[in-house]
Amino acid sequence: MTTDNTGKTPDAQPIATPESINRGWPEQLARAMVAGAPYSAALGLRFVSSSPGFGTIMLPWRDDLVGLDGTGILAPGAVTALIDHTCGLAIMSTFGAMAAPATLDLRIDHLRPAAPNAAVTAQAHCYKATRTIAFLRAEAWDVSRDDPVATAQAAFTLNRRGT
Amino acid sequence: MHDAPDLNTLLAYSPFARYLAIEAKIDDKGVLAILPARDNLVGNVLLPALHGGAVAAFLEISCLLQLAYETGATAPARTIDVSVEYLRPARPEATFARAKIRRIGRRVATVHAEAWQRDEATPVCLVQCHFRLPGKPGSSTQTTTQEEK
Repeated sequence: MTTDNTGKTPDAQPIATPESINRGWPEQLARAMVAGAPYSAALGLRFVSSSPGFGTIMLPWRDDLVGLDGTGILAPGAVTALIDHTCGLAIMSTFGAMAAPATLDLRIDHLRPAAPNAAVTAQAHCYKATRTIAFLRAEAWDVSRDDPVATAQAAFTLNRRGT
Repeated sequence: MHDAPDLNTLLAYSPFARYLAIEAKIDDKGVLAILPARDNLVGNVLLPALHGGAVAAFLEISCLLQLAYETGATAPARTIDVSVEYLRPARPEATFARAKIRRIGRRVATVHAEAWQRDEATPVCLVQCHFRLPGKPGSSTQTTTQEEK
């Protein structure tokens, strides 16, 4: 939120219309998309941000999501779910909830193990979409975006009727 | 010939495999991995369908089980990459998987796996994975130089 010195309240959020929900969809829907899916909620995924073309979600560290006892390192499979969900968020923040994205393929390179006891954050970028397919790249990191633990490439089917 | 390690003991070493409640058994076709249905594995409540991330993780673990079963190694292999193809939505019901090792080198293994629900001939999801194999005890241990396949 921006503030100014004139005492005027900042510009109100535009009223949500079907078009605005479809295009720049409100943050409440983005948060609901992360918290509302049972598996996403069970893993503890946390909405970070979204903007047209982009989505960012964090997977907080938890001991029952560790890959191997004694390592403290989040399982690659938990990072897979994080990246998949983040790609869905990037698509919905571009085309709205009606786009109903479904993963077609997802390729993840696990560049290195995450740091022990560290949360992992993922950002996905939808860099191209046709009427039926969205193409995305994503990366996940523990400490710094410049040193990712995983990178990914994905294609999703989507429904852009009415957009 | 080696003794195949007990797969459910291996699964018990992985908190995440325990979290997913993955089970393994050996039948006449080899290793069968089982992902029991649970409400919190659902990714899409409208369809409803299991979350793609849950099915992919299950398949990755089924590949690791197959590697342990065939190589007898109890040290875990490390996942290098996973390539997942989603063929159809997975219903919120029990899911099964079998994996096949396509190649084992000294350091890297290529493993494919398929998941199905009611009908083994109608898979819902496929994965192709590469794994970094654990060093053999007694062999020169860690390779920090450039790796060859």
